[in-house]
Amino acid sequence: MITKINTKIKVALVVGLVFITIIILFGGAIYFFQNKFSFEDFYKRLETRASISAKYNLEPDTLNAESLKAIRNDHLDKLEKEKEYLIEVLPGTEISQVGKKYDLPEYFLNDLISVGRSRAKNGNTFFAGIKQVIDNRTYLVIVSAENYYASHHLMFLRNILIISVALVILIVVSLSVYFSRHIFDPIKQITDKVKQISTENLHLRLDKNNNNNEISELINTFNDLLSRIETALETQKNFISNASHELGTPLTSIIGEADVSLLKERSITEYQDSLKNILQQADRLDQITKSLLFLAQTGYKGKADFVETLRIDEIIWETKQIIDKLNPANKIFVDLSLLPEDPKKLKVKGNRQLLQLAFANILSNACKYSNNKPVSVYIASSHALVFLTIKDQGIGIPETELGYIYDPFFRASNTKLFEGYGIGLPLARNVINLHRGELLVTSVLNEGTTVQIKLPLIFFR
Amino acid sequence: MVKNILVPIDFRVASLNTLKLALDYCKDQKVNAVLIYAQHLDDSITELMFYSPGKIIRSLRSPEFNHALEIIKNRFEGLLGDIRIELFHGNNKNFLNNFLSAQKIEEIFIPKTYELNITKRAFDPIPIIKKANIRVVQLEWNISYNKTEQEQLTALFN
Repeated sequence: MITKINTKIKVALVVGLVFITIIILFGGAIYFFQNKFSFEDFYKRLETRASISAKYNLEPDTLNAESLKAIRNDHLDKLEKEKEYLIEVLPGTEISQVGKKYDLPEYFLNDLISVGRSRAKNGNTFFAGIKQVIDNRTYLVIVSAENYYASHHLMFLRNILIISVALVILIVVSLSVYFSRHIFDPIKQITDKVKQISTENLHLRLDKNNNNNEISELINTFNDLLSRIETALETQKNFISNASHELGTPLTSIIGEADVSLLKERSITEYQDSLKNILQQADRLDQITKSLLFLAQTGYKGKADFVETLRIDEIIWETKQIIDKLNPANKIFVDLSLLPEDPKKLKVKGNRQLLQLAFANILSNACKYSNNKPVSVYIASSHALVFLTIKDQGIGIPETELGYIYDPFFRASNTKLFEGYGIGLPLARNVINLHRGELLVTSVLNEGTTVQIKLPLIFFR
Repeated sequence: MVKNILVPIDFRVASLNTLKLALDYCKDQKVNAVLIYAQHLDDSITELMFYSPGKIIRSLRSPEFNHALEIIKNRFEGLLGDIRIELFHGNNKNFLNNFLSAQKIEEIFIPKTYELNITKRAFDPIPIIKKANIRVVQLEWNISYNKTEQEQLTALFN
């Protein structure tokens, strides 16, 4: 049954019960030990009185006895219903009769005679006695009194304890109810927020809070999960558009090549040349299909693990060659003045085709939107990251639209004169994200756009 | 033979360009670089009691600056021995000369046109540096290098 009630009540119950048990044990222990101690203490007091009384009753002529009596009267308070008994035990005396006569419990007297001292309790009256033997005559000196302390102070203590335990229980119950209700508030918030997120608005993320470690960890995990789902869904959604976009360029060159060579009769070597070109482009088509399929697959799995080790400058040069073929008028300058001396610091793990796709998209955009004005590519690397910056002098992106540039099919308002589908940049960003990198676009309208890419170096990972 | 050089910086990425150009300038020799950041010393006693140049420098270094410095280190791996960042508190010629001899500096490189970013307690050390009794090389960013190269470091981190 306990599994069926919700966590809030469970927590309240557990916390409440634990505290209540502890409090009751605590109060009970105080009362129990105080009670025991007060009995013990009271018996001792009675015994002291009995021995003093024995002294002055049984040795009446000595000076000592007089002074003891004086001390007793002066300094020892009279106890509640205090009575002194001095009983001489003659050889023929029946214990039961003595008991009846003085109203003393019989077992107490028996004990007293056999052991020499004894204690007893009858209702609220306490007895303590000692046996004295003087001149072969046996005397029992007994003092009885009512325990005022036990009857009043202990009662008072008990009342205090009961009231305070009751108060504490009240406080504990209300506090545990309060806490159980509010400790789950952040989780409830998360639940509410997650409920709002559906396939329609996967871009929504949970608000980060920095004060609670576990909760913020949960939020981060949720956000990561959402990012993965979003990319997966996006790649799935965009697979067809990506494929058509990327397959377009090699297909155009194949068609162009075939068209040109069919224009008129040509020599065998020319046919061979054009066939070679067509083959090359078809190979590229094949590679692109494979890498797009790979992209679509990894989209489901989240971050991909790449095995291939690549030199980033090499990829840039290869990309430049691809663009040179498609757009011979481009002015891409690769700046090597910050290139690290150690080539190891250019190596990243990744997929060659995908990175080429990404860079080709960014570089061809840079050329396209600047009408082939110079585009500079800087390569540099710190100890952990490779930095790539691609800077053009093109039309730029309006500041208000910078937020949407990664949305598929989004095209900025100033791109009407240029052909395009709004596929390249989102694809490039997906590829870079897949390589655990970062892609950042900054732009000034009519002055140019800068794309900064950071990729983690192989031996830092 | 290792040469010790001194370059003033302002903890912005752009100011490291001077260091880069300086390293280009001494291509044929191993170099140890001392970067200085000029700042007035605080005059409160408590501040002076807990004075810690390492802490001040750490608080001034931004992640971008660190990356840029690492990029330069990687670029000139074979050439560059050691880079240190020092705080410079003196505001007269003698202090500078003492500092230079203590650090065994042989050559100073300053930017010709770049204005160091002067914030809070910092001051511009270039007027004093110009009076130093060792060789001071003024590097012109615009003349010897084309435009793209000049902005490359800043381009990485704008």
